Amino acid sequence: MSTTVAATISERVERIETMPSIPAVLLPLMELLNAPPDKVNLDEVVKLVSYDNTIALQTLRIASSPLFGLSKTPQSIKAAVMTLGLRRVGAMVLTSCLGQAFPTKGWALDPTVFWRHSLGCAMVCRKLSEKLRVIDVDKAYMAGLLHDVGFLVNCLVFSKEFAAALERASQQNTPILEAEQQTMGFTHCDTGRALAEKWKLASDIVQVIAHHHAIEDSQSAQSLVSLVHLGDLLCRMRNLGYGYYERQKVDLIDDPAWSVLLKEYRELENVDLVRFTFELDEDMVEIGMLVSIIFGSGKTAAAP
Amino acid sequence: MTAGPQIALARPPAGLAQNPIDPVFRQIRDLVYKVSGIYQLEEKLYLLADSCGRRMRQLNVNTPRDYWDRLTAHANRDAEMRSLLNEVTIGETSLFRSQPQVDAIRQVILPELVAEKSKQVIKRMRIWSAGCSTGEEAYTLAMIMLEEKERLLKEWTVEILATDLNDRSVETAKTGIYGDYALRSTTDYYKRKYFTPVDDKKLQVNPEVKKLINFSRLNLQDDSKMLFMKGMDLIFCCNVLIYFDGPSKTKVVNHFFNNLNTGGYFFLGTSESLLKLNEQFHLVHFPGAIGYWKPSLTGKKP
Repeated sequence: MSTTVAATISERVERIETMPSIPAVLLPLMELLNAPPDKVNLDEVVKLVSYDNTIALQTLRIASSPLFGLSKTPQSIKAAVMTLGLRRVGAMVLTSCLGQAFPTKGWALDPTVFWRHSLGCAMVCRKLSEKLRVIDVDKAYMAGLLHDVGFLVNCLVFSKEFAAALERASQQNTPILEAEQQTMGFTHCDTGRALAEKWKLASDIVQVIAHHHAIEDSQSAQSLVSLVHLGDLLCRMRNLGYGYYERQKVDLIDDPAWSVLLKEYRELENVDLVRFTFELDEDMVEIGMLVSIIFGSGKTAAAP
Repeated sequence: MTAGPQIALARPPAGLAQNPIDPVFRQIRDLVYKVSGIYQLEEKLYLLADSCGRRMRQLNVNTPRDYWDRLTAHANRDAEMRSLLNEVTIGETSLFRSQPQVDAIRQVILPELVAEKSKQVIKRMRIWSAGCSTGEEAYTLAMIMLEEKERLLKEWTVEILATDLNDRSVETAKTGIYGDYALRSTTDYYKRKYFTPVDDKKLQVNPEVKKLINFSRLNLQDDSKMLFMKGMDLIFCCNVLIYFDGPSKTKVVNHFFNNLNTGGYFFLGTSESLLKLNEQFHLVHFPGAIGYWKPSLTGKKP
């Protein structure tokens, strides 16, 4: 990627801040989430999350989804933070914020498909990290949720170029990544990275966003990048892709990302991938429900 | 409009809220998986509960908890597990049961096999439906191969072996007559092209399809016969392994592995796992389907 292209990307990404729909809590929240847990003032978080009514309500609804392990909707943000912990509530607020941050109309990409893929990947990463018991589960969730955030940037500030790339992908039956490279000269990995840096996301998340398609390029956090890479592939194999060209066959155990993870987490060897896959199928209902919480109803709730 | 009223959306998946499933059924689901590799998805858990219910009535067992004891602590637990598995897999067969599997065969596996085998003098594709029951899978495969005869398999001979332990199943399979239920996933295109109506309810598979298949009786535990099933490119064995105990299962799966050509594929039922029965097979994900690949000796990837 040339320096002019990089400049174009960052110049346009700057504009995102001026988008009217971006929730005010998002950026301060990101900062809070990056701070070490013992440095975070709980009341401050509760205040921050409660500030935006829509987001507060959505967060509580997400908390009551079986994915986050609560059978009843918590009565308040404070109660949610107390039962689920700061990081988990942070992940939920983030989910909700992202749903709010981006417009629902005029997307080059079908937003429901985008959310299904992102939430599916978040869920897979979270569950796999639960099984490996090493990578922080909420970190894994965030990484999965945000890995394709570059597509949102593309839709927002490169809408014409990106629409052309998608057109090419469907006409020539090539992967979106290739089509982006060919028509725009950069990809959602580049635009996502620019946004992630602007938002001052943790550096391991930035690595995931920038390198989930080529894990060998990641300079650090390679295990997290590998985890997301595998989660992404698995989602695509279970009907949670974007509907463009997908690989027709995936041997996860033979993937370099698998070896990277295995080197660090021997536990991976004992993961029953087939059952894991069946469980992902089970989660489809859940994913659909989350999409309707953060996206479907967000549409109406956002209107004053 | 406020978001208030929409909060009602936050609820467990439909069905679970109104009619909570006894958690024991989840335990039974996990036990069934451990024993058989067959996994009942959460949304199909009520089907497992139904199967258990039928067994419970037979046994005069009143609560799921008591039935759990029958499956785990009772002297007859193995036999009971087998009866339950029979209930679980009942009525599972139909033609074109798994479209993702059909797609994987046509779009990935056949092109791969054709490329790999193209240098051989005899262009022959051998497929085995092991435990073919009443023939639905074998005929599905035969129709797919006939479709590909016009493209990929132009100069190829296709042989499909379909075997079952049960004589009556084999005889029924040979007639190739199916009703609405078995044909529920068969599109009109296939119905018109490969079937002839027998009466107003049933269709019969045309001779050109039957010609590809050789139906016979075979006991998968008969080692001497299993040794003669060599040279397969594709083996299907759906919901059959449940009938074997641990050691026989391993033996049967090893036979399958040995009978496959290198680069060949092995498929189980759509909700069935090989567990750890054979570590030489490579698990492969296709869009919406799972298969097992036999690597070549050199470790070369297709």
